[in-house]
Amino acid sequence: MLMPAQIADDARPRLARGVRLQIDFATGKSVLLFPEGIVELNETAQEILTRCDGRALSEIAGALAEEYEVDLATLAVDVHEILADLQRRKLVELS
Amino acid sequence: MTAPRPYALLAELTYRCPLHCPYCSNPTRARNDGELTTDEWRRVFREATELGVLQLGFSGGEPLVRRDLAELVRDAREARLYTNLITSGVGLDKSRASELREAGLDSVQLSFQSDDAELGDEIAGARAHQRKLAAASFIRAAGIPLSLNFVIHRRNINRLPQMIGLAEALGAERVELANVQFYGWAFLNRAALLPTREQVARARDVATAAKARLAGKIDIFYVLPDYYETRPKPCLNGWGQRYLTVNPIGDVLPCPTASSAIPDLRLENVRARSLDWIWRRSESFNRFRGTEWMPEPCRSCPQKEIDFGGCRCQAALLTGNAASTDPVCSLSPNRARVDAVLRDLNLSIVATSDWMLRVNPSKDAASLINQGEALS
Repeated sequence: MLMPAQIADDARPRLARGVRLQIDFATGKSVLLFPEGIVELNETAQEILTRCDGRALSEIAGALAEEYEVDLATLAVDVHEILADLQRRKLVELS
Repeated sequence: MTAPRPYALLAELTYRCPLHCPYCSNPTRARNDGELTTDEWRRVFREATELGVLQLGFSGGEPLVRRDLAELVRDAREARLYTNLITSGVGLDKSRASELREAGLDSVQLSFQSDDAELGDEIAGARAHQRKLAAASFIRAAGIPLSLNFVIHRRNINRLPQMIGLAEALGAERVELANVQFYGWAFLNRAALLPTREQVARARDVATAAKARLAGKIDIFYVLPDYYETRPKPCLNGWGQRYLTVNPIGDVLPCPTASSAIPDLRLENVRARSLDWIWRRSESFNRFRGTEWMPEPCRSCPQKEIDFGGCRCQAALLTGNAASTDPVCSLSPNRARVDAVLRDLNLSIVATSDWMLRVNPSKDAASLINQGEALS
């Protein structure tokens, strides 16, 4: 399997241009809307994306670990994976 | 059966259009009077959101013909819909682009007929190509994500590499290369539009190579020419499952081409009924919903939840029965009809190249019918 490139801890993820994060009232879940497409987010992805407001990846992982009282190292793996997946689908950009 | 929730609404704001493309999917006998008002569309958007719709496409005809387009975009955004404008670009200047951006427009799909101005204008039946180039730059300048849409057919399919090049040059984020589908005007002009087997094979290679080369930069969607396939497309992801269309006069359609392809479909109108009732209860939306309606060979086919029996409009146009298996399927008893069309084209030395340009709907529907019959 091709391993995705690791995102740097100090990268600042943001929703890509034209991508909107919104609640789907039919399900109560969060979705990403983009031209001709809809992606339903799981809870972790939603929690990450609502914090993609200019903060660095490490800060997002830190804030989530603190808020949910979970192990930072484990959570950081999830954050990296989810953001790499969304970046590959051009739904998230890094700066 | 129970109705699922819809995801996307196509709002056909008007059938008026400055272009006359011979493959237009609009009905060939459309009328032009009685378009929905701004207030009526606003109500439709709110009802769509309540039904579960998330995505809205403004289409037509040419939606820019509606002077209230920015207002409609604002209304749709207030209803929390994601807004796509599907346009020829004709009628878009710098101030209109920023007006639409300020109203909250999320994305634009800009059509091109070719990368080449002369051929593009010939296909459009109008001097449109230069205006499209200008429109692309206004959209970029306004910061709106841009998709380019190309309809592919015999006259432009050999220029696929150049068309992809145009998308790169204009900074598009997404390109749709859609082989023409034979409904509306395209069905009337099929003999002039259908590409040859050799062209189709080459185009597929070009699209595959471009997809790989531009991965991560431009998303390329290649829509297959289904006459050359052996399994039908999963049209609409199933009838009445995810999509609904409201046409300029407020008729609600499971599919935009259904009104012309399936004339006995009794359409409900948003002026008389709620969108919710139409989606859940109407005969038109329930007619081919699910798998109960299916005849053999679909009924016992393991693919029936994958392709849903193909396209109802295509079945109607090619067999006269909307409830038959899409004849594109090699298991269909009517596949010979598709093969005959392909054989006529691929074995003939001189292919028909004359097509009939789309004419705008008039208030007098009868004159259009006569014109269509005279030219076909």
